[in-house]
Amino acid sequence: MKIARHIIASAFVFMVLIAAAAQGADSGSGDGVLKIGTPNMVKSASILGDSSLGVFAHLSNPPLMKMTPDGAVVGQTAKSYEVSEDGRTWKFVIDDSLYWSDGTPLTPEDVKFTFEYLAENVPSAGWIKNTVRDISVDDGSVVFTLNQPYSRLNLEFATYNVLPKHIWEEIDDPVEYINDGESIGCGPFVIEKIDLPSGVIEFQKNPYWKGEQPQVDAIEVHMYDNMDVLSLALEKGDVDAYYKYAGTYPYANVQKLEDNGNFDFVEKDNVGLIFLGMNLKKEPMSDLKFREALSYGINYDEILNLDALGYGEVANRGFVPPSMVYFQETDALRYDPDQAREILDEAGYKDLNGDGLRENLSGKDMKLLLLTRNDYQRASELMKEYLSDLGIDSEIKTVDSSTWIATKDQYGYDLTVTRTTPWGMMMHANWGTGYFDSRRTGEGVLHVLDDPAFLELCDDILASTSESELEGYAEDLQDYYAANLPGIALYWNKVLTPYNREWKGWVSDPLYGIYNQDNFLNVTRSGA
Amino acid sequence: MLWGKTARYAIAFFLIISLNFAIPRAMPGDTLTNLMGEDVHLSEDAMLELKAKVGVDQPIHIQFLNYWRDLFHLDLGYSYHLHAPVSSLIRERIKWTMLLVAPSIIMGAFVGTLLGALAGWRRKEAKSRLQTTGFLLIYCTPPYFLSMLALYFLGFELGWFPLKGFYQSGTIGDIAHHLFLPVLIMTLFSASRNYMIMRGSVIQERQMLYASYARAKGLSSDQILFRHIFKNAALPIITLVALDFGFIFSGALFIEIVFSMHGMGNLIYDSLLCRDYPVLQGTFAVITIMVILANLLADWTYGLVDPRVRWQR
Repeated sequence: MKIARHIIASAFVFMVLIAAAAQGADSGSGDGVLKIGTPNMVKSASILGDSSLGVFAHLSNPPLMKMTPDGAVVGQTAKSYEVSEDGRTWKFVIDDSLYWSDGTPLTPEDVKFTFEYLAENVPSAGWIKNTVRDISVDDGSVVFTLNQPYSRLNLEFATYNVLPKHIWEEIDDPVEYINDGESIGCGPFVIEKIDLPSGVIEFQKNPYWKGEQPQVDAIEVHMYDNMDVLSLALEKGDVDAYYKYAGTYPYANVQKLEDNGNFDFVEKDNVGLIFLGMNLKKEPMSDLKFREALSYGINYDEILNLDALGYGEVANRGFVPPSMVYFQETDALRYDPDQAREILDEAGYKDLNGDGLRENLSGKDMKLLLLTRNDYQRASELMKEYLSDLGIDSEIKTVDSSTWIATKDQYGYDLTVTRTTPWGMMMHANWGTGYFDSRRTGEGVLHVLDDPAFLELCDDILASTSESELEGYAEDLQDYYAANLPGIALYWNKVLTPYNREWKGWVSDPLYGIYNQDNFLNVTRSGA
Repeated sequence: MLWGKTARYAIAFFLIISLNFAIPRAMPGDTLTNLMGEDVHLSEDAMLELKAKVGVDQPIHIQFLNYWRDLFHLDLGYSYHLHAPVSSLIRERIKWTMLLVAPSIIMGAFVGTLLGALAGWRRKEAKSRLQTTGFLLIYCTPPYFLSMLALYFLGFELGWFPLKGFYQSGTIGDIAHHLFLPVLIMTLFSASRNYMIMRGSVIQERQMLYASYARAKGLSSDQILFRHIFKNAALPIITLVALDFGFIFSGALFIEIVFSMHGMGNLIYDSLLCRDYPVLQGTFAVITIMVILANLLADWTYGLVDPRVRWQR
C-alpha cells in the first residue's frame, strides 16, 4: 500500500507543479485580442478547399458584396453596383481605397482574376462558366456580361472571397493549396497563422487598411470539437463570443450563461429553419391531401417548446420565414388532429382491417420511413408520435450524414426532418427553392419537386430584371408553398449568439451572423 | 513452425488489407458525398469531373488493383477532403497522438500491474479492497464522462489545466501542461484495466503449489510475489500492452473529441463520417501493420518470460 500511496502522491505533486509552472509560462493574448469560440472545425489550411476556413477568411479576403443586418445586399469590396435593364450586364465599382496586406493596391483586375480563376478551378463555382459570358475591366469597375438574366448575382458574390492575383496566379490547383502561415488579404484583418494542433486561427491587422480603424488589435478564432467544452470556455473567459455558421448557441446551455451574469446575446430571427421534408416522388407523400392532413397532425407549439425550448414561433404554411426579404404572410400552420383524421378518411387512407393503423389507397399496410440524423432525433421522435396519433405507422431510421445524403438522393425514404441554412434559403431562385427544385443536386437538398408550375416560377425569379417583379414572384412562390406543402416548416427559430459583456457593439447579418466585417470593425472592449 | 507462423501472418495481412479497401466502400454514400458542403450545388458535369479526379469513376476491380499497386509503392493515396497526401497527414497527426497515448500506456501498464499485483496478494486487506473499488469504478465509467468530469473540475473549476488543444505557445512546458490531463485520464483507464487483470491473475497464481513451496522454503512475502508469482501472473498483461501499442495509431477518440485534439482518433472518425476512402485505407493499413507487429512482439516476449512457451517452439 505504501507504493500506491507514493504513486498517488507523486502524481498529485507532479500535477500541481506542472499546472503552476505552465500557468506562469502562459503568455496570454492581451486585452486587445478578441477571441471567438466556434464548433466549426477547420480540418485543413486550404482557403478554397475547407468550407469552414472559407467562411473565416471573409475577414481577410472580403467578398465583393455583403449583407447588412436588415438583409439588404450592398457592396463590400465593391463600393457600389448597377445592373442593366435587361439584367444581363452587372457593373461593380471596386473600392479603390483597399490595399492587400503586402502594400499592393486591390484592383479590378484582381476581382476579374478571382472570378475567372474560381470558375476554372473550383468545382462549386463552376456555374460561373455557364452563366457569365465575359468579365471585363472598365475604369475602376468590373463588368460581368451574362448569357441570360440572373437576378441573384449580387447575392452569389457575397459568398466568394476576393483573391490577390499576384499571389494566386502562381498556384495551379487552388483547392489543394495549403498555407497555414501568413496570407495576403485586403480586409481589416488578415490571417497570420492557422494552427490546427492548437485549434486557433490568428488574425492580425492589415497594415495597409485605410478604412475605419478596428477597435481591437487582433482576432483569434478558437475551434472546439465539443460543444459542452466550448460552453465552459465561454464561462471561463477563454473565449469572448460564440460563432457557428448557420447555427445558434444550444438553447439548453443558454440559462447557464444567463445565470453567470457576464453574458448578453445577439438575438436574430433565423433565415434557415427546421422542416419536415417529404419524398414527393412516392406515394403517399405525392398526394397533396395526405400532406395536408399531415400538416394538421403536427403539434407545432409542442415541437417548438421541446425542440427549440420556445426560442422561435410557429411557422406559416408559406415556409419562408419573416426574416427573409419579401416575406408574404400566409396562413399559420395549425394543430388540429381531428381535421387531419377527417382529411385522411376522406382521401381514402382508412383502417380497413381494424388493426388501428391506416392502410394506403390500395388497401395495403402502410409504414412510413422517417429518415433522420442525430441532430434531429428529438423532432423525429415527436413526428413519429404525431403520425401514430393519426393512425399512421412509421419507423425512424437514424443515420450519419453521408448515409442520409446517399439515401435521400436515391429517394429511399418517405419523410425526413432536416434543415435549411441561411445561404441554402437564398441559393438558386431564393426563398428555399434550391431545396425542392428537382433539377438540382447537392448534399443538403431534397430535389423532389418537378411540378412545371414551380419550375417555371423558379426560372422566372432567376430571370427577373426588376425588384417589383421579384417581389411579385416571391409572393407567388410563398402562395405556392402554402397551397402545395412540398415541405412543412416545423418552426421558425431564433439564432442566439452569446458574447461577454466586456465587449460591446455587436451586429449580426442574416447570412453569416456575427462573423462580418462591420462587427469586427465596431466591437470594442467596454470602457476602452 | 516459424514458416507456418509467417504464412499465417501473411494471410491475415492480405485479408485485412483487402477488407480495408472493401469496408469503406460498403458503407452508404461515397467519398464525394460530403466533399462540397451542405448548401453547395454542383452541376452534373462538375460532379463527373470531380469523380474522375478522385478516381472513383473507375470500375471497382480497377480501383482495387490500383490500391494494391500504390501500397506496394508505399503510396497511401491523397485525401481530397483534407487536401494532403495521406502519409503526410498520418505523420502530422501521429507525433501528437504518440505524445498522448504512449505515456498513458507505459504508465498505465506500470501502475496497473504493480498495484494490481499487490492488491491480488493482499486481497483481504481493507485498503486493498478500497483500492479495488476505486479502480473498478474507473474501469466502469464511460471514458467520455470521466474526461468531462476531470476537465470540469481540474480545467474549469480549479483552472489548473487548459480546456483544449495540444498547446498554446508551443514550449515544452506548455505542451506538457496541455497533455497532462488527457494523459492522466488515459493512464487511469489503462491502469484500471491492467489492475483488474493483474489482481485476478495473482489471486489465481498464489493458489499454485509453487507459491506454497516458496513459502515453505522460508521466502518473504515480497520475495514470493515479485520473484515467482509476478512473472507468471503478468503474461496476460504482455498481450494487452502489446495490443495497446498496436492501436496507438488509432488514437484515443473520446479524449481527442473532449479536448479538441487534432490526433489520429479524430482523423479516422472524420474520415469515416465523410467516407474519405484514402485516409481510411491508409490509417487502417498502418494500424494493421502495427497490430501484426505487436502480436509478433507479444509472441516473442512470451517466450522470453515463460520458458514453457519457449520449449513448445
